[in-house]
Amino acid sequence: MAPKAASGKEKLIDEEDEVLQAVILADSFDKRFRPLTRRTPRCLLPICNAPLLDWTFESLALAGVQEIFVICRSHAEQVKNAISESKWSRPGSGIKIVPIMTAKETFSAGDAMRDVYTRGLVTSDFVLVMGDLVSNIRIDEVVRVHKERRKTNKDAIMTMVVKESGAAHRTRPQGDSSVFVLDAVTSECLHYEPVSAYPRTAMTRIPREVLESHPEIEIRNDLIDCSIDVCSVEVPSLFQDNFDYEDIRRDFLHGVLTSDLLMKNIHCYVAKDGYAARVKDTKSYESVSKDILSRWTFPLVPDDNHPGGHVYQHTRGNKYLASDNSVSLARTCKIGNNTLIGASTKIHENAQIAGSVIGQNCVIGAGSIIDGSYIFDGTVIGAQCVVKRSIIGAGVTIKEKTRIEKGCLVGDGVVVGPLAVLDPFERLSMRRDKTAPVEEEEEEDEDSDIEEIEANQDKTSSILGKDSNAMVWPHGPFDDDDEDDIAAYKNQRIRRLGDNGSDLELSDEDSESSDEESDESSEYDSGNELPTSANTSPLATPTFDALAPPGQLQDAEFVIEVAQSLERAFAEGHSVDNAAVELKTLRMVSNVPLTRVREAVISAIVEDIKIVDGALPQRKEINRVIGRWGELIDRIGGVDAVETVSLLQMHCASSERFPLFGQILAELYQADIVEEDDIRAWHKSPAAKGVGLAGGPTAENVQRCWAVGAKMIQQFDEQESESESEGEGESEGEGESEGEGESESEGKGESEGKGESESEGESEGEGESEDESESEDESESEGESESEGESESE
Amino acid sequence: MTSEPANTPTQRAVENLAWKLRRRQIVGSRATALETLLVLRQVISKSRFSSMEQLVTIIRAVGRRLVEAQPKEHSVGNTVRKVLHHIREEYHTATKGTAIESSSGFSISKFVLLGQPRKQSAPAKAESKGTLKENDPDDPDSFARSLKPVLMEAIQDVLDELETVYDNVSKSAPNHIHSDEIILTLGMSKTVEHFLISAAHNRNYTVMVLETAPSYGGRDMAKTLAAAGISTFLVPDSSLFGLMSRVNKVILGAHAILANGGMFAITGSLLAATAAHEHCTPVVVCAGQFKLTPLWNLYHEYGALDFSDPSQVLGFEEGSLVDKVDVVNPFYDYVQPNLIDAFITNDGDHPPTSIYRLIKETYDDEDNEL
Repeated sequence: MAPKAASGKEKLIDEEDEVLQAVILADSFDKRFRPLTRRTPRCLLPICNAPLLDWTFESLALAGVQEIFVICRSHAEQVKNAISESKWSRPGSGIKIVPIMTAKETFSAGDAMRDVYTRGLVTSDFVLVMGDLVSNIRIDEVVRVHKERRKTNKDAIMTMVVKESGAAHRTRPQGDSSVFVLDAVTSECLHYEPVSAYPRTAMTRIPREVLESHPEIEIRNDLIDCSIDVCSVEVPSLFQDNFDYEDIRRDFLHGVLTSDLLMKNIHCYVAKDGYAARVKDTKSYESVSKDILSRWTFPLVPDDNHPGGHVYQHTRGNKYLASDNSVSLARTCKIGNNTLIGASTKIHENAQIAGSVIGQNCVIGAGSIIDGSYIFDGTVIGAQCVVKRSIIGAGVTIKEKTRIEKGCLVGDGVVVGPLAVLDPFERLSMRRDKTAPVEEEEEEDEDSDIEEIEANQDKTSSILGKDSNAMVWPHGPFDDDDEDDIAAYKNQRIRRLGDNGSDLELSDEDSESSDEESDESSEYDSGNELPTSANTSPLATPTFDALAPPGQLQDAEFVIEVAQSLERAFAEGHSVDNAAVELKTLRMVSNVPLTRVREAVISAIVEDIKIVDGALPQRKEINRVIGRWGELIDRIGGVDAVETVSLLQMHCASSERFPLFGQILAELYQADIVEEDDIRAWHKSPAAKGVGLAGGPTAENVQRCWAVGAKMIQQFDEQESESESEGEGESEGEGESEGEGESESEGKGESEGKGESESEGESEGEGESEDESESEDESESEGESESEGESESE
Repeated sequence: MTSEPANTPTQRAVENLAWKLRRRQIVGSRATALETLLVLRQVISKSRFSSMEQLVTIIRAVGRRLVEAQPKEHSVGNTVRKVLHHIREEYHTATKGTAIESSSGFSISKFVLLGQPRKQSAPAKAESKGTLKENDPDDPDSFARSLKPVLMEAIQDVLDELETVYDNVSKSAPNHIHSDEIILTLGMSKTVEHFLISAAHNRNYTVMVLETAPSYGGRDMAKTLAAAGISTFLVPDSSLFGLMSRVNKVILGAHAILANGGMFAITGSLLAATAAHEHCTPVVVCAGQFKLTPLWNLYHEYGALDFSDPSQVLGFEEGSLVDKVDVVNPFYDYVQPNLIDAFITNDGDHPPTSIYRLIKETYDDEDNEL
């Protein structure tokens, strides 16, 4: 009995050959935590006394992930050692963790993904997360949904996990939220736009195609992007194909959504329950810490499943004390709510601690006040100190009567005080030991920065105290690679611990309002499903104005490129397919809207028509060109015949081939590129009449084109009545709409009792062919008459 | 000493369970007890030992690992203790020929026992008698080989007890519920559900089920009871006190029964028990014996309550409030012994005051600290 059950259990383990894999990008690719991250990678910074990476592992383990690849770049050795020493590498952890050290040249998430591809790490659908994730969301459920969707739709390559939060949530990063446009039914992500706090993004543009193809959409700005993506194996290869993708959201997501070549879909999974957040910056460090202490991450809480393996005792008011009785609390010290105190820490008399996390082996001196601060292991704080909303690294010594104001970051090993006073948002790190041997090459790029910092020490107003070994990092924009922008700096500021950005003059960019929160809530969050028209109508935004000039430049280049490529195609007789592919590629390269492509194609085709003397040869010429290339207009991605006609009109109006407009239109109609309804629709639109155009020959021509169209429609009407009531007299049924005409003709057929009319109605094909031939004649004569008229006027 | 590293599949099974307990992938006292038992069976069947002490050490090591992984699931430790107790009993039977009748003396619980005699451990197998030899240098496995079938049987006994716990508890249901009574219950407890349904076979009575926010287990309970043909009312928690005057009996489930006669039970139990106390309505607790807990977090009652995440109470989307409100969402209540009138177990009915005795009989004192 027993062995049988045992073997059954083992078999169960073997049965799951479909191993769920995860890839962790353990590098943040930014420097928001410096100077804390000078010696330690961000993913090994402790949050609630356990390295961030362990929280991430635990989050994934909760979801049943069995194999994890950790892509590390900076301080890769440290990460590797941390993994091999952790409980995860012990047998029986049930998870295989493979650290992957990428090249130093990996500068972005995109590079890391390309590395994943070249190494061939993943074999099936996998979970992609960042190395700073804390979550208790059931990712396995997301994976299940993803796989289910993949069964019916092979193009659904990625599912992003997003979490609903309110308008103003502490965990929702202010400077780094995004607008998601989702299909209300399938929750397919249709459009994505990042929202930056400075300069404030006041508007978002939703492409028209989105509104066309989806009857119901949700525009949401209340979602926390958890950066948990369930990806198919294609995703790394897409990164490989598009070597310029860097950011997963801004580049990859945007690229996939806007590309009509790839035809891939990305979906969102709006997590109703569960918690997930990333520690992206010092501000979110604070909020995630608070969330852990107030148990939002349950069961991932200090007293239950602490990733660091520590055991904490949970007492009233969310106070957590290491439960091995090694914490020594003075009788008169006060421990406030939402506090975590690590093992072997000593709190002396009259010390007050509230809303803080104290690491292991720390000492808090008598009468010190620690408020909302995060103190790493082995830090000693002297008597009568005040530390407010700051992050203090490991092994720091803060001597007596020091004051540290909000938002300070104190790097590992720093000594400050006594009697030091730090201004808000000061960043301190240890002065380099001049005699120390040359540091690892990794530090090289930082060395220059640090020298510069050391050179500028006299500017600071903070008092560091006489025993200090610290140096103060400069405020203001750093001259980092691409962050030398003032805006970027101000954006960064909002993400700092304790900084609410209130002193930033947000109003100069956006006169409507200066208050961050109220503004955001009124604009996006008051209703998640705003009427779409409200969001699309105002087009001009500061952001887009800024982008306009390069866009126009590209347009001009693009038109030339298209003309050339089509010229080549015409000359060398390419197939329509090849030409279409070429055009699509061109469009991808220069990133222009579809309309521009259509415009360019139409103008190229029209210009290809040679002007020949004589009506018949001219007609043949047009017939040849349209017959050969007309199809191309619909092959460039998306069919919009009305637009085709109006573009043709616009082009002809300003071209020497203006007289051919009627003929070309007729030819397009013959080739089924333009339908009768399209012509009617075009004809009704105000733009077709030349409304809104300034005077001059072009406007006149536009109006004439419209007149040609009017004649054509008149003919359609005539034909209709003709074909439907043949032999009844041609004058009848003029100007009647189709439905009416039909019913009338039927009625007549009955009333007059003609057997003929019925048979006529049945043999529709015949009738149609007749129509066509007739309309051809008509349009021909039309065109001729037009051209005659034109020559007369000229 | 921990179990030897050669036992990797066993080791893996233990670790696996420990992780599941830590991550709360297995919750509920019966589910954890069952899983623990299965792992213990695997451990015993695979491990090599040549004396009783070694076997006990191995089992204790496993038990300690599991209990440390999740001290709040009391039935894990209880199961380990129970298995140890049974193993010792079997061992004594096998070596001495007769079991030491440890539980046969005078006992209040026996006195209170309503009719069904305790399941006596089966007499030892004839073939194992006499041949048992510990620490045999010639054949170190002989001890294990001869004892193992008996041990398996002992574990099977525990397993059987777990599997039949609902039926055994509900056997006495008609004695407790009378016709036309109004019973109040709360939460979703399988034991209580079986108890009520079995009483409905011969009695016609009414049940009021509290919704039991924030888990709303009461809703499921009401559905099941109504489906079983019992006239059921689902009432909001707030009307508890008002209704109490009409209620004849409060029947609760338990998460763990403590040696002092108190218990841990789902949130709301304390409220219901207090209200019942105020109205002098009897409070009856239905629970299996595997919930008897000799050791619990005595000095940190608060911490043992198992606080889950606040999202059930305050939605995460209430962003502006999250920062300003501290939500306390305990999953269990500690109900003091003076609020409880009787425990109905699969081993008869007991007053809270005699629980300590029951625990003494069920477990060996030396196992209290694993």
